[in-house]
Amino acid sequence: MQILPFYLLCDESGSMTGDPIEAINSALPELHHEISTNPTVADKTRFCLIGFSDDAKVLQPLVDLSDIEEVPALAAGGLTSYGAAFRELLRCVEADVASLKAQGHEVYRPVAFFLSDGIPTDDGWEQDHKDLLGSKYAPKIIAFGIGDAEAATIGQVANFRAFMQQDSTVSPAKALREFASSLTRSIVRSASSIPADGGSGFTLAVDETVPGFSTVSLDKL
Amino acid sequence: MTFHNGADLPYSGLKLLGKIGDGGQGEVHAVGGPGDLLYKNYREPHKVDGSSLAALVAYRQALAAADRDRLDAETAWPLCRVLDAGTVTGFLMRRAPATTNWRTPKGDTKLIELSYLLREPKAAWQAVPQPEPDDRLGIAVALAGLFGRLHAAGLVVGDLSQANVLWTLTPEPAVFLLDCDGIRLVGRPAVLDQADTPDWHDPLAPAGTATVDSDRYKASLMIGRVLMRDPYAHPGQPMAPLSGVLDDRREAAVRSLWARAAGPYGSRPDLGQWQTALAGRETIKLIAAAPAPRPAVDRSMFDTARQRGTIQLNGRGGPGQPG
Repeated sequence: MQILPFYLLCDESGSMTGDPIEAINSALPELHHEISTNPTVADKTRFCLIGFSDDAKVLQPLVDLSDIEEVPALAAGGLTSYGAAFRELLRCVEADVASLKAQGHEVYRPVAFFLSDGIPTDDGWEQDHKDLLGSKYAPKIIAFGIGDAEAATIGQVANFRAFMQQDSTVSPAKALREFASSLTRSIVRSASSIPADGGSGFTLAVDETVPGFSTVSLDKL
Repeated sequence: MTFHNGADLPYSGLKLLGKIGDGGQGEVHAVGGPGDLLYKNYREPHKVDGSSLAALVAYRQALAAADRDRLDAETAWPLCRVLDAGTVTGFLMRRAPATTNWRTPKGDTKLIELSYLLREPKAAWQAVPQPEPDDRLGIAVALAGLFGRLHAAGLVVGDLSQANVLWTLTPEPAVFLLDCDGIRLVGRPAVLDQADTPDWHDPLAPAGTATVDSDRYKASLMIGRVLMRDPYAHPGQPMAPLSGVLDDRREAAVRSLWARAAGPYGSRPDLGQWQTALAGRETIKLIAAAPAPRPAVDRSMFDTARQRGTIQLNGRGGPGQPG
């Protein structure tokens, strides 16, 4: 089987308290529902949830979403360490790809959805980011910024596509629901172009535009 | 608004009630009015071959009433085209029967696609009915029957896959074919470019083509995968039907057809052979008629090389004497 692993790296720093964190927590069942009731998509994708603040925690290790019935909730508190997030993602990707291969699967380059509502509070995260992108299984990163996140930073984190919440017109909670829908669509559409075996590739189908967000041009950053 | 005579309808006359589906080629909307119909709206109308779509509508119109009822019970066939200012924008079709829906834990309804029949049940879709072995055979028989009828009518289905075949066990095992605008009459172009589904292509067919032979391969794939409950099995691999689905006679016949489906064009089993294999009837080896005895040939009647003399014409030799 050819597998496409998806990682959701979600900022759960103190500033996410309230509606933003609730928006993500209530969107996760929707995502699970869409994927787990579509066996063709569930077969070919895996999902991992990482929360980061002062440090980064794997809340849901990489899993076939049709195999789980609950997932740990995100809980806000602490600062915003991008470096911890990228280190944890690198560790997961390396272990997960090796494990999937050991099970006889072929593995596509992982896809990471990165979400933050603020500027990084740690120094040196750029080096962790560089290590991640320089690694053998460097993921494709789609970055979303809401609230106080800065377009320049979000654009720097992404290597595939970047989006910033449109100010004032959209609430963070609404933007996050759109973010989750976009993530779900990406998984379903990308998986639909993956053959179970054989060497042919697939199309990573990430929305070009997401309602409530403006697209950050990576070329200009 | 009526679709009964198959005549084109103006887009402006449709009462669209809301989008219920979104595919690669277009969106599907519920339509107000009698018949609980759906409207498929093409995303790129300029790419649509309107005459091929008209031919599909005409095919249904030309059927005898009983055949048309059967087609309507088994497929979401295009009932009539919808035009806007002379351009084909889509067509009307029937909604899949309610028995091909299942209710998710969240309370919404989803279609019972073939994909659920090809896997061990999972908690996330536990509301999808689980077939007994006899039901599974019944669905395989229904598939062979449906595709057999379409082929007999000179139609090529093209994209046979887990997503465009629905099934039900209520009141009895049956199937329902979606995306019928992908079907074409043999020799006609498709309404839109041929769609292919990953894991459901004929390895010997050039991409984007559809023939009766590739249909036969894909139908074998579908029947085999249903019998094996394996979404990725393909001819060339051993046939391992799920326990209790086939008796010995059927299993031997199915194994033979499954192996033949891996062969070149022209050698794939047709749907009639699948129907026979799944029916489990004993087959009788027919004795080929012996050629009629040849009549004895009178060789003297044929021209052959022979000795010829020459005739002297100056009177020195007798006539007929070799000179």
